Order: sequence, then C-alpha cells, then structure tokens
Amino acid sequence: MARSRRSRRTLTVIVLVVVSLSLISLDLNGRTHSLTSGIKSVANDIYSPLRQGVDDLIRPIGSFFAGAFNYGSLQSENEQLQRQIGQLKATQAEKGFEQNQLHQLTQLGNLPFLNSLPTVTAQTVDQNSSNFTATITLNKGRADGVAVGYPVVGAGGLVGQVIQSFHHTCVVRLITDGQSKVGVVFGPANKYTAIVDGQGPGNDPTADLVAPGTPLRKGQHMWTSGLQAATFPPGIPVGTVASFHTPSGASQISITVEPSANLSQLAYVDVVQWVPNT
Amino acid sequence: MGAQHVTARSAVRVIFVIFLVLMVQQTMMVALRVGGVHPDLLWLLPITAALADGPETGGIVGFWAGLAFDLVLPTPFGMSALVGCLLGYAVGALTAAVDPRTTWLKPVAALTGSVAADMLFAVLGAILGQPQMVQIDFVALFFMISISSVVFVLPVSRLMRWALAGENHRHSLVPAHADQRLW
Repeated sequence: MARSRRSRRTLTVIVLVVVSLSLISLDLNGRTHSLTSGIKSVANDIYSPLRQGVDDLIRPIGSFFAGAFNYGSLQSENEQLQRQIGQLKATQAEKGFEQNQLHQLTQLGNLPFLNSLPTVTAQTVDQNSSNFTATITLNKGRADGVAVGYPVVGAGGLVGQVIQSFHHTCVVRLITDGQSKVGVVFGPANKYTAIVDGQGPGNDPTADLVAPGTPLRKGQHMWTSGLQAATFPPGIPVGTVASFHTPSGASQISITVEPSANLSQLAYVDVVQWVPNT
Repeated sequence: MGAQHVTARSAVRVIFVIFLVLMVQQTMMVALRVGGVHPDLLWLLPITAALADGPETGGIVGFWAGLAFDLVLPTPFGMSALVGCLLGYAVGALTAAVDPRTTWLKPVAALTGSVAADMLFAVLGAILGQPQMVQIDFVALFFMISISSVVFVLPVSRLMRWALAGENHRHSLVPAHADQRLW
C-alpha cells in the first residue's frame, strides 16, 4: 500500500516534469514559440489591469511612508524632467554622429534617422520582474502599434529592444541584459565597429571585437551602426567608453561601456516604430 | 499527512493563494530592491505546501505556482514550473522524517530551498541557452533571498496550511471526504 502510494507520487512528479520540459521546448523552438507567446499574451492582457489596480491601490501607501505629502506629483514631475534631459542629451550626441557621418550620409538619402521615425511614448509599469533578466514592461502593446523587434530609446540614448508584445503591454530587453548585443560604430568618421554586449542586470556592458591598437579614449561615444543584421537604426547613442585595457596576448581590447541612457530613470521611454531592413 | 486528502475546495483556495502571492510579488516585492535584486516569494509556495502536505502536493503546487509566474516573467515558459515542481517534491521527501512541529524546520527549509531553487533556475537557464542567467550577482541574490525567505515563510505557510486544510489537519476549515479528493 505504502509502496504503491510512493510510486504514484513519483509518477505524478515525473509527469509534471515531462510537461514542464515540453513547455520549455515549445517556448524555445522557433516554430512553436507563437503558441506559448500566445498563451502569455492572453494571460498578460487579463493580468495587467489587475496588477495596475493593485499597484494604484498600494502606491499611495508607499508614497505616504516615503514621508512627503507631495511625493507622487514631485516624482512624476522629476520623471518628466529626467526624460526631457535625456532627450536633449540624445539630440546633442546624435549631432556628433551626424557631423562625423555627414559626407557619407548625403549619399545615403534613405537612411532612417531617429528624428524622422515615428515613435510611441510609453510608461514603464514594471522593471526587472525577474532577478535573472534586465527587462522593463511598458504600458503600450500591439494595439498601440508596438511590435517585437522595435528599438526603445529614452533618457539619453538606446534603452533596449521589444522582445514580447502583448495587446496593451510589451516587454523590453535592456542593453544591460546578458542576451543583448548591439552593433556600434565609434571613432573618427565612425570607421570603427564593435558589439556592445550586455553583462547582466546591474553590470555595465562591454564592447567586443575591437582590435588592439584601435584609438580609444575615455568618454568616447558609441552609436548604433545599423550594420550588424540591422537590428537597430543607425545613429542612436548607445554608450560611452568608461574604461579600457588590452590584456597581454589578447586579440581584442577589453572595453567597459557606460550606457548613454539613464537606465535607472526609465519612467517614460519612446518605442521607435522601425522595422529592420525597411 | 497525505496528498490524497486535497479536495476541490482546497484546490480553489490554493489557486487563490498562488494568485495572491503573485500579486504581492509583482507589485510590492519587486519594489523592495537591494543591490539590484528583490525578494522572490514564488519558491515559498512549493516549500510550504510540501511541509504541510508532503512531496506530491509540494510538487503539484510548485508546478502550478511556477506556471502562473511563468506567464508574467520574461524567462522561458515552463522553467519556473519545472523548478517549482522539483523543489516541492524534494522538500517534501527530505523533510518527511522530521517532526513538522520543529520550530527551525520552516526557516531552514525556506532558506535552503529558495537558494537551491534559484541556483537550479540559473543553471537550467544557462543550459537552455540563456547564459545571462549565470551572470548576475549571486552573493546579493542569495543574501536577499535568504533574508526574505526566512521573513516571509511564516505568513505564506499560514496561508498554505489554510488552503490545504482537510479533516485530518489540526487547522482544518473544510472537512474533506474521500469522494471529493482531487489527488
């Protein structure tokens, strides 16, 4: 009797483990991913308003305990100002890129500048919901014209890329996430290229594939190149060189990049409606 | 103690507890960030279920709780369900011989179980093509998870015991009959 109960227990858990592994396989398989993302999409459409309601309910309590009567409005004002500062910084940084590229860009009439691209302004409703990924959730989704793959900018430069789009929300992978890779250009006439590689939440990204001897200086700007499979439009500020050194015998310079975007102030961001290779 | 006494009413209560913990996690816990990491209440669900009702219930609650969290997390779908299921079963099996009234059982099971689950989650993620999951600050993560697990295990355990209460439990709220058993 006890043995049959034990074997039934084991069987139940084995079945659940097999189901879990099947779900993971479905999610990671490119052909069946739409099935699991569809389920997630429906669940998020139901769940998001509920969470927003709970959030709205508890936020005033949190604000009260923060000790300021006008905390909420001040915070909102501060977030708006941070966004404006970010936009100004982005414009300034873009000008540098434009000057460097001027003689080339005049020949490339259809190159998509960020200024001429349509954007959707969105509010961040959740940041780093998992300890293992660097992501944010925005309050705009498919219904607002946000699709998977769209770049997201704000507060000084590139923030990340939309990886999941639901009906009224979307998930953005930040450039600090370990899976993020951004092709960049830098240096005189933007002739040098690199890949800015995310190093996980809380860590600054690194710039890879820069050969020893490449002229570098601290604070040097890096912009999206638009070259590497054209995942991002060119000219978006990605980051500045924070530190660099060449280990002896290494085939590339080890570069740490400080993101141009203020990733700790992401209350409002712009989703760029840019489709690769269009 | 036995998983065969879980009724439909208990199952509904377990679903309610999972939903409640999910809401608390996504609205309050994510804001309690220290060193870039926040508490994770998910693992406390299978741990407390296993302590209250054995390995099978721990595994089943872990699976469904993980699945509910998978719906809103950006990590691969099914990974939390897998880890939750294994965690619930392991905690139930490893603590089967320990007197459930022992005072240290819950905090120790919560601490070790949560840390082990996060390690398994990260390693599994890396194996499944998510290398960034092992690039995080594990010291900060384990510190936060350890503290928060010990702090929150008691309220979650109370909720879970209420949810799983049957007629053979000391804190039974709803009598369970053999013909109503779900598992």
